[in-house]
Amino acid sequence: MSSSTAALPDGPRRISRETLVKWAPLLVLVVLVLLFPLFEWLEDFRDGKDHIYLLDSRFLSIRNFARIAISASPALMVAIGVTFIILMGSIDLSMEGTVSVCAVMFALMFIGMGGTLASWAFLAIPGALVVGAVMGFINGLVHVKLKIPSFMASLAMGFVGTGFALLLTGGDRIRVEDEAFRSLLTVRWFNFPVMCYVALLGLLVAWFIQSRTTLGRNFYAVGGGEELAKASGLNVNRVRIMGFTLAGVFFAMGALLAVGRIGIAETATGNGFMFVSITAVVVGGTALWGGIGGVWNTLIGVLIVNVINNGMVVIGLPNWVQDGTLGLLVIAAVVLSTDRRSVSFVK
Amino acid sequence: MTLETLKPHFPWITLLVLVVLVGALNPSFFDPGALMLLMADIVPLFIMAMGMTFAIYIGGIDLSVQQLANVVTVVATVYLANFGIGVAVIAILIGFLFGAISGYVTTRLFVPSFVSTLAMGFVALSMAKWLSDQRALSMDATLRNDSFGWMFDTTAGFPNELIIALILLALAWFLQTRTTFGRSLKAVGAGELAAVASGLNVDKVKIIAFAISGAFAAIAGLMFSVKLSGGDANLANGFLLLAIVAVLVGGTPLTGGVGGVVNTAIGTLIVMVIRAAMVYLEVDATQQQMVFGIVLIAAIALTIDRSKLRGIVK
Repeated sequence: MSSSTAALPDGPRRISRETLVKWAPLLVLVVLVLLFPLFEWLEDFRDGKDHIYLLDSRFLSIRNFARIAISASPALMVAIGVTFIILMGSIDLSMEGTVSVCAVMFALMFIGMGGTLASWAFLAIPGALVVGAVMGFINGLVHVKLKIPSFMASLAMGFVGTGFALLLTGGDRIRVEDEAFRSLLTVRWFNFPVMCYVALLGLLVAWFIQSRTTLGRNFYAVGGGEELAKASGLNVNRVRIMGFTLAGVFFAMGALLAVGRIGIAETATGNGFMFVSITAVVVGGTALWGGIGGVWNTLIGVLIVNVINNGMVVIGLPNWVQDGTLGLLVIAAVVLSTDRRSVSFVK
Repeated sequence: MTLETLKPHFPWITLLVLVVLVGALNPSFFDPGALMLLMADIVPLFIMAMGMTFAIYIGGIDLSVQQLANVVTVVATVYLANFGIGVAVIAILIGFLFGAISGYVTTRLFVPSFVSTLAMGFVALSMAKWLSDQRALSMDATLRNDSFGWMFDTTAGFPNELIIALILLALAWFLQTRTTFGRSLKAVGAGELAAVASGLNVDKVKIIAFAISGAFAAIAGLMFSVKLSGGDANLANGFLLLAIVAVLVGGTPLTGGVGGVVNTAIGTLIVMVIRAAMVYLEVDATQQQMVFGIVLIAAIALTIDRSKLRGIVK
């Protein structure tokens, strides 16, 4: 499966494919950040307005960066969750359902227990994380115990989740208007709302899990070569189930931030997360085949996706362009990260 | 009689049991007129599922069908005035082309089909949003009736929709069982590596399979659009789950190689009976998705060929 990754001793000047793939996402992000102001500059130049490239850019402003960070925060949590799964060479497509269920359960618990963070209702936050863990755990069980490929097991569980969220809400929207909870969005430290710092904390926790815990190392072991991992005595099934459970917890984090951002929990809260998060992970450079990449890649990927979405609006492109662009981007990213010599056939 | 020899018979036995159960609960279920309406109602789903069968039969999946149907509803509505019944040709071409591109991306660029089709689905969504200007469009009633009104007439007591479905089924069945392409499909589905080794142009077979899936999704979208007399970028949402369920409960496993379009006809009928039962038992419409999600998991678990997964389930 894997090709030789050993660095060649001769010709250190030549950029290897591995190096290129490793740094391409960051390069793309930098190019995008420089590209959108260029479009703005061109437009103003054409109209004969004064515009100093980069300095006068509306895109390159703190206010706009905060906007990007706000829209990226929930997506980052969801994408980190699925990163662990993709590292193992599996996939999780259940996020839309899981996010919806977590959001709705959170809102119901939160309002049921007092409706403000200053009461027992704060327990709804760990409560939602537990709901996410349980959903992920069931997802992992279905995948591992029934031996169903993960993309299908999780897709089906996602449908069940969306259906369950619909059952809970009956199609209604639940408003979460507590000021203390909404301070996730309304209170800003250094121009960025609190939810961005929460997302950053989530990222650091994920990084710790990935690099400093046995579980994190095991994700890479399973993704790098499942048979080898099995032969060396690793309980692969257990790692998988724990991976899906962990992913569920991060989906729940994403749900909390999504509710904090909009102030509403509903069946549609999870809509759109599947494609955005998969795109982000893949574009960030985590290989679909497993074993390569990690949460920092996902941060870059989420930023790329959100910069594209935001930048297109800033330079005045209609928003229907976004879906198609992301679609082509994900194909390009998978193609770039795939080593043709090592893949025999693809289903 | 072991479980393995019984397995191919599961789908029709399930259908029979369900029909008897629903009939016992609600004898009016057997009323021929009502039954015919129920079946005519599910025709777009059946056509979509029939196309999906080809993608699953070769061991892939097509997650773009719903979006392809969406874009076709928009295309049909927008261009009905210009081309009349000719929009059918355009619709099918669009579906075929999108499917072929998905197939190309899967086979030549080594992108797994669930990613390539998901991505192409979003390209289709872009197109649908662009053409529809993100509004719900409706067809001009006269134009619609002139070009497609015949779809809802009856011939010798049978709704024309059902007849269209049967013709397409016959066509797909012929393609699958009586042509070289059909044999190649079987070879690819049963064992891709062996098919490659025996000199078969596997990539071509797979690309055509995805293209057929796209074309059928387009026909489904067209019929749905004419039925509802309009189009928008989200009109066909909700079809994907049911289409996958119909293929899998019909007995074409996710691992491919066995089953086929006739199985999918049975699978679609199972979906129809479950729906009818839910209406009769007054199960809320909001619970349908949950029920079908669970049915899907059960169907996959029962049909999947684990020997093909070689011990590793990713």
